[in-house]
Amino acid sequence: MAWFSRLRGLFRKDVVAREQEEELEFHLAMREEWNVQQGLACEEARRDARVRLGNKSTWRERMSEIDLMLVPGTVWQDLKFGARMLVRHAGFTTAAVLALAIGIGANTAAFTAYKAFFKRPLEGRDTGRLVNVALSLQSGETLPVFSLRDYEDYRASVRAFSGLTASSNFETLTLTGAGGVASARSASAGTLLGRSGVFPATQNTELASVHFVANNYFAILGVGALRGRVFEDADSSKPASTLLALISENYWQRRFGGDPSVLGKNFRLEGIPFTIVGITPHNFVGTSVDAPDFWLQLSAEPLIHPDSNWVRDREAACCRVFARLAPGVTMAQAQAEMSAVAGHLRSLHAPGSDRAKPVTAMVWPGSPFPMPLDHFDGVSYVLMLILGAVGLVLVIACANVACLQLARAASRHSELTMRLSLGAGRVRLIRQLLTESVLLSAVAGFVAFLFSWAFLQALVVITADAFPAEYGTFVFHVTPDLGIFGYVFCLSLAAGVLFGLAPAFESSSAALSSALKANKGPSPVRGRRMRDTLVAIQVSVSLVLLVAGSMLIRSSIRALTMETGYESKHGLDLELKFPDGARYNNSSKNALVHELRDRLASVAGVAEITGGVAPDGQELSTASVSLNGEEPSEKNIRAVLFYRYIQPNYFETLRIPLLFGRGFQAQAGDPEPVVILSDSAARQLWPGENPIGRSLRMGTGGQFHSGGQLVPDGRAYEVVGVVRDTRGVLLDGGDSQVVYVPMPEDHIQDYPMVIRTQADPAQCLKAIGSVLGAVDPDVVVTASTLGELLLQTESFAASGMSAIIATSIGLLGLVLASMGIYGTASYMVVLRTREVGIRMALGAKRRDILLLMLRESTRPVLGGILAGLCLSLGVSYLLRHVLYGLNTIDGASYAVVALLLLGIALLASYLPSRRAMRVDPMVALRYE
Amino acid sequence: MTRTKGDNLQGALAVLVLKSLERGPMHGWGITLHIERISNEILRVEEGSLYPALHRMEQDGWIAAEWGLSENNRRARFYRLTAVGRKQLAEERETWRKITGAVGMVLGFGEV
Repeated sequence: MAWFSRLRGLFRKDVVAREQEEELEFHLAMREEWNVQQGLACEEARRDARVRLGNKSTWRERMSEIDLMLVPGTVWQDLKFGARMLVRHAGFTTAAVLALAIGIGANTAAFTAYKAFFKRPLEGRDTGRLVNVALSLQSGETLPVFSLRDYEDYRASVRAFSGLTASSNFETLTLTGAGGVASARSASAGTLLGRSGVFPATQNTELASVHFVANNYFAILGVGALRGRVFEDADSSKPASTLLALISENYWQRRFGGDPSVLGKNFRLEGIPFTIVGITPHNFVGTSVDAPDFWLQLSAEPLIHPDSNWVRDREAACCRVFARLAPGVTMAQAQAEMSAVAGHLRSLHAPGSDRAKPVTAMVWPGSPFPMPLDHFDGVSYVLMLILGAVGLVLVIACANVACLQLARAASRHSELTMRLSLGAGRVRLIRQLLTESVLLSAVAGFVAFLFSWAFLQALVVITADAFPAEYGTFVFHVTPDLGIFGYVFCLSLAAGVLFGLAPAFESSSAALSSALKANKGPSPVRGRRMRDTLVAIQVSVSLVLLVAGSMLIRSSIRALTMETGYESKHGLDLELKFPDGARYNNSSKNALVHELRDRLASVAGVAEITGGVAPDGQELSTASVSLNGEEPSEKNIRAVLFYRYIQPNYFETLRIPLLFGRGFQAQAGDPEPVVILSDSAARQLWPGENPIGRSLRMGTGGQFHSGGQLVPDGRAYEVVGVVRDTRGVLLDGGDSQVVYVPMPEDHIQDYPMVIRTQADPAQCLKAIGSVLGAVDPDVVVTASTLGELLLQTESFAASGMSAIIATSIGLLGLVLASMGIYGTASYMVVLRTREVGIRMALGAKRRDILLLMLRESTRPVLGGILAGLCLSLGVSYLLRHVLYGLNTIDGASYAVVALLLLGIALLASYLPSRRAMRVDPMVALRYE
Repeated sequence: MTRTKGDNLQGALAVLVLKSLERGPMHGWGITLHIERISNEILRVEEGSLYPALHRMEQDGWIAAEWGLSENNRRARFYRLTAVGRKQLAEERETWRKITGAVGMVLGFGEV
């Protein structure tokens, strides 16, 4: 009952107030009557009653005060007082809230984005029971994909799963017969990433992205269709006149404008007819991170790719497998059972295959990523860097606010002294100051939450439209999360205590000592060391962030403009994709390519055409190399190098100079058994010796290869030439060591074409496009300039993105540090007004005052710069993996950033110091 | 219950109110009259402090309140003692007895 009364007092204030009024009136009336009965006159009676009760408003206040005793009185007092002070010094409050909000907001945004992207679960019902499944070899390598036959065996044998489903990786297929809104077809050009050149431009047909999924996919995930229906297990027994497809709601809107007649519509993928039977929900991504344009059944795959052998070949590892745990089963139990089944399946695999080796199963919580995150080395590294950087921004923000707080506390000196002399204990004072800090940071935390929320929502909107429609829709959810809110809240409270503690101690002891000494004025010398340290901290951390950012930017620029070692400005890379089917066997493809090349040679602007993967192309094949004439095995491997099949005119087309020896001879039939090495490969295999005339053997067993690919195993090759290195795509230059092998004439259709043009390659594209269309419009051609190829590599993309992130973070830090310096300098000027007045009265010139102020303000900045430079050395070491072609000690970056900071610091101190110059000595001396 | 220092009647007010309610529920005015009458007008309840004290006691759970009709048919809020309140009354009486006894001892020292 007691609690009820208290809560009522807090929450039903109006009702309680009315009741109290009524009670009061009753009492007054009764006293009045009593007085009359005792013989007083009416007027007198009433007046006496009122007097006895006392002041009505005091009475009401006392009543409501009691309600507030849920919170101990003094803390409440502190909070009210603190709030009043914050409102009074609105300028300080705004600056401090802003600074903290930036620091905390950046942290929250980074943390939330990390969680939303990397910890995202699969999409569906009851996702806690959905798991990913993979195999792991003894060597530690993970095999995240399974063949269809293995999948079916697991599905039949593993009881721990109530259901097992499979989906294949994302593919883009040609789309015809779809009609639709014409303007949507040039979607590539309009989107953010479409414009940046990250995606190669396709010349002649429309593409759509497709996921192949098992029939039970939607049943296991527990998701239904928005309209129409989804795939069901029963579909495999029902004969269908055409193949079934589902369309994603996103693609439906983007490509068909939400036209409801799309259900039941027929269209063709890779020439095969399909019917759309359902629309999946908006932003439904299932087991990946993007919503594909179309969903097809796994059973349709052999029709689309007749040459592949998914259904029958146990070695064709095509699909990722996901499962729903049976009720009451743990992941450990499922893992054990699956390992046992995997052990049985070993004998069914070919002896050389990975799956014939001893494997264990891995079962972990469902996620779109094929391996548990700790297996992805590079990613966690970059993440640590980013999270570290935003953490540093928070440090700057806290130091900033602590600094401001300290300066302000010095200006509240007289108030503190008075309170001390009125009897407040030092602890009480500290508590008061701390309460203000906490209040400030609570407000800042709230603002930070809003900032990061808005930022993340903007990010979601941007990513939704970033990819061209052909590549599906990348879906990025930012879900409100109690955990994140709790994190932010604790962070801001901690920040409040952190930056409030030091100034609280400092200023309370200052006030104490001066109260004892009866010193009237605030002493600016007090807390100087702490202030200086805080400024130095801000400056040094900003320096580190800016140096990191500038180094990353420089390395990205370097990557773009570095000497490539070949003709990259006037080159085009053409990749051909033939439709599957009987029409395209090896000899017909070969004839086609020959015809293509003849026609292309006569296009204006084309200088030379060759075949082979471009130096920055993505297909990197490796082979082990042995020098003793035997087949490469563990005992005699000299090195593992990249190899490339090329045509004889490759080096001329790309203008790669021959350093020693000779090039390949063009000849019909089998090419000669010779190889050409790149300079660094030669030095790796025969350091200090002449490699010409030596022989080597290569072996690709154990290295990654797609089926049907040409491999250089089995024969000895003689080295006949050495060419200059070309810069490759790997940061450590490992792929500059290349062994060039001559391409047999009957395989030229398997490799891309590289064209050197006379003028700007983009101009030739149109002409080339029409030639290709004339020869065979069903062949899909992907063309990129050689410059764009570099942009498409992962390492460049990672480096570019890191540069942008690091620089923005660095700029944030700079803004905060400048604010801090400015704020501190301003307060110093105010505090030292009296001192300035004295000095001027004693004959100091205005210029001297200015120099004095500047000197004082800049001293900690210099210290901070020095400390920051030392720290930067450590950071450069950490960043060495992502710095492309840059020395770890990049003197230019250090110098530029240091000077920049110094300049800004000087400016930030100069502006308020100018006010010091304008002080009138008479006014200053009178200032108390 | 926090007591303000040097405010003895405030402290006593609580125990007086509790005692007044021992026999049955009363409204605030009734409590005032009761205390003044029984003490022969020596103790005068400060009416400005009575209701805050009643409110605080209500929040502490010593008394419970509800609306009812007074003797002359007016709406009034009646307070009654709770079980906790009874216990508190016994404790406070004991405390008072000790204090007054102690005061008596000091005052009676050296007197015959």
